[in-house]
Amino acid sequence: MVAALPLTLTGATLRRQGKTLIGPVDLTLGRIGVTVVIGPNGSGKTSLLRMMHGLQRTADGRVGWSVADAIARERQAYVFQRPIALRRSVLANLMFPLRLRGASRAQAEAQARAIADRFDLSAMLAQPAPSLSGGEMQRLALARALITEPEILFADEPCAALDGQATRQIEALLAGTAAAGTRLVMATHDMGQARRLASDVIFLLHGRIHETGPAETFFAAPATPEAKAFLNGDIVE
Amino acid sequence: MIRALLLSALFLSAGSASAETMRLAVTTSFENSGLADILLPQIAADTGIDIELIVVGTGQALRLGEAGDVDAVLVHSKAAEEAFITAGNATHRREIMYNDFVIIGPDDDPAGIAQAGDAPEALARIATAQAPFVSRGDDSGTHKAELALWNAAGIPTEGDWYRPVGAGMGAALNTAVGMGAYVLSDRASWLKFGNKDGMSILFEGDPAMFNQYAYLPVNPARYDHIKAGPAARLEDWLVSERAEVLINGYRVADEQLFTFNAER
Repeated sequence: MVAALPLTLTGATLRRQGKTLIGPVDLTLGRIGVTVVIGPNGSGKTSLLRMMHGLQRTADGRVGWSVADAIARERQAYVFQRPIALRRSVLANLMFPLRLRGASRAQAEAQARAIADRFDLSAMLAQPAPSLSGGEMQRLALARALITEPEILFADEPCAALDGQATRQIEALLAGTAAAGTRLVMATHDMGQARRLASDVIFLLHGRIHETGPAETFFAAPATPEAKAFLNGDIVE
Repeated sequence: MIRALLLSALFLSAGSASAETMRLAVTTSFENSGLADILLPQIAADTGIDIELIVVGTGQALRLGEAGDVDAVLVHSKAAEEAFITAGNATHRREIMYNDFVIIGPDDDPAGIAQAGDAPEALARIATAQAPFVSRGDDSGTHKAELALWNAAGIPTEGDWYRPVGAGMGAALNTAVGMGAYVLSDRASWLKFGNKDGMSILFEGDPAMFNQYAYLPVNPARYDHIKAGPAARLEDWLVSERAEVLINGYRVADEQLFTFNAER
C-alpha cells in the first residue's frame, strides 16, 4: 500500500469572510512522530488541523497528500474536543466507521469488540453512548477514530474537558497509538501534555507558523522571544 | 413577511368580469419553484377561478386558514396538517404532489456523504466528521423536515459544526456557500439559486427526503365568507389529468421538480 504521508502544505491559507484564519502555511509532515500544535487562543490551532484534514477548503495554496485526495481521506481520522456520539449503543458507535467502509456486520462487530478491550470500553458496549462520562466518551471517540487503522490521526484538544485521571488515560492511549506507528498531530493548550507527548512542535501565532522544530530543542531553547514568552506563561499578543 | 401576489391581475381574460376569486395560502418553496406561474393561468382558463396567492411558511399558512383569511392552503407538513384538521379548521387534506429535499455541500465532499446509502447515514457522516452544517433554524417546513431527519438518524444537533441561521432558504444557501458547509434544501430553491460557487448536490433520492404537498380547504362551517364552491372546484382541478401533465412536465434546468401523486 502506498503511504498517504508525507503531507505537504504549500502556501495553504484559510479565509472566512475576507479574514485570514490561518496561513499561508508551508509545512511537511513525515511518516512518524507526534506533532504538537501550540499557541495562544485564536492563533489558529483548530483551523490548521481542520485545513490539513480537508474539513475546510483552502482559499489559497495546497494541502497535498502523496496519494489521491479520496484515498488520503480514508487513511486519516480526527478526534474532536467534544465528540459527537450517535444515539446508539457504544458497540454500534464503534462499528459505524467500519460499516461505512463496507465491512460486514460480523467483521465490524469483531473488530469493535477487540478495540473496546484495548480502550477499556468492554463493560459498556451495550450502553447507550450518550450516557457515557466525559472520559469514557473521549475513549470511545478515540477508539472509533482508530478502528479503521488510520495512517494519521488529528486530535484537537482531546483532553480539554477531562479530569486528571481521564487525561492520563487518554494520553497513554495516544502515546501507545503513536508508538504503534500512527502519525499523530495534536493541538493542545496544556504545555505539560505537549512536553509529555511531542516529538516536534509547531508554535502558531496570528495564524502563521512562528516557530517549529524538534520538541527537545524547542522546549529547552526556543529561538523566538514570543515562543519563549509563551512557554513562560506570559501573555503573547 | 406576507407577500400577497395578486397574480389574477396579470392575466385578465375576456371572461374576467364574471370570474370568481379565491385566496390560497402557499409555501415559499412552492412559490420559489415557479410552478404557480404555470398552473394559475390554466386554472383560470379551465375553471374561471382567479386565485390570489398568499406566500408564507407552512405554519403561517395554516394560521391564515385558521383565521379564515384564506379559503384553502397548499402546504407540506403532514403532522401540522393533521392537527389543523383535528382542530376543525379544514374538512380534509388531499395529497397532490411531492418534490424532494437534497443535501448540498462542497464539491470535494469532506464528509464523504456522496457514498452514503441513505439519509441517516449521510447525516451521520456529516456529524461524525463535524463538518459544518447550516440549518434554516426558522421553524419552516424545510427546517422541520431537517430536524425530523436528524432525529431519525439519532444524532444530536449540537456543537460548533451545527449552525442555525434563522433565515429563509436563499440566505441559508448563501451562508453555506460562504462557509463551504453542508445544507438541506428543496431541489427547486437550489436549482434556481444563482451563487453555486464550488457547491453541488451530494446526496439525494432517499424517500425519507420526499416532501408531500397537500391541499386543505378551510372548513366553511367556521366562517360564512369562506368560498367553499371555488375551493372544491380548485381541488377537482388539482387532481385532474390536466394538472398531472402540467406538474410532471414542469422543468427547471432540465430537471423535473414535482411528481404528481394525487389519488382520484
